[in-house]
Amino acid sequence: MDLDLARQAQAGDESAFAEIVRRYSPRVFSVASRFFRQRPLVEEAAQEVFLKAYTQLGSFEGRGSLEGWLTRIATNTCLNMVRSSKRRPELTVSDLTEDEQGWLEHQSAGDGGEPASVENSVVATDLADRLLSVLSPEDQQALLMIDGEQASIKEVAEATGWSESKVKVRAFRARRKVREAMEKLLSYKRAGSER
Amino acid sequence: MKDKHITEILDNVSIAALSESELNGIRAHALECMPCRDAFEAARLSAVVIKSRVEATIEPSPFFQTRVMAALREQQAVESVPAMLRLWRSAKVLVSTMAVTTAALAVVSFIQPSTTPVAEQTASAYSAYSVIMDQNPDDQMSYEQVLSTIYEDDEDAR
Repeated sequence: MDLDLARQAQAGDESAFAEIVRRYSPRVFSVASRFFRQRPLVEEAAQEVFLKAYTQLGSFEGRGSLEGWLTRIATNTCLNMVRSSKRRPELTVSDLTEDEQGWLEHQSAGDGGEPASVENSVVATDLADRLLSVLSPEDQQALLMIDGEQASIKEVAEATGWSESKVKVRAFRARRKVREAMEKLLSYKRAGSER
Repeated sequence: MKDKHITEILDNVSIAALSESELNGIRAHALECMPCRDAFEAARLSAVVIKSRVEATIEPSPFFQTRVMAALREQQAVESVPAMLRLWRSAKVLVSTMAVTTAALAVVSFIQPSTTPVAEQTASAYSAYSVIMDQNPDDQMSYEQVLSTIYEDDEDAR
């Protein structure tokens, strides 16, 4: 079914390619959202993914799913976009916002429940971006896919083209760095509340 | 696990992937080990924020499919034009400007100088000479005049 659709699109059937875009854009957007938070950037990346996919349709042999094939193109396209853009500044503990300090305080006092409100989710997402900025784009992806999306090592290896041992190393390194960065934030918060 | 530091375990697997018995063992150790307690707390909060980050997914807009198809048609239109024509389209303004500039320079270099009268050129040369030598060439002394002046001076001296 996927292969037929891909062959029709490759033969110039516009409606077949439009169907591929319609069917798989949620998946491509989900991948691009791991890299970018602003809608224009996510849309730009997703468009780039589908244009690339169109030119490479001939290389899709139907051995895996079309979704998996597109996920791999999306991951590599977004990684290239992130690499070519300027790196964000590294984590600085002194510029924690009041909301972020409040969120950390609330979470430390409680038992780690989910962020309740939309505002809390935004604060948590901001904090996540702050922590992830200490990692390379590749390590970020390994961590977000394994710890965030509960993907297996094998699934990450297939989506990125890295070996399984490389994925394990990246995830281990990313977890340690993020944990250490969070410890730094917590010690800063403690020092602030003692003052 | 109670006597063993837990940071290695926290870095090896996602907290969400740990079993309840593993978590209990970690908690028991963390109660008595301050650095491990801080590490566990940080790992737990990191897992929460990472989950929030992954959940912040942007959905495709209803116009996205149309946008991609339009971009694809545009790309195909660009690719269907021959390379030389594309090159000419992008460079034609530059080439035209260069041609006009070259023509203007040719007019200035070859046509303009011949309209200047020859007499004027000579006059200019003479004026330059007089400025440099501080005298008119007509006033210049001949070789004989110079010699006679020198000898006259010698005779006067004697």
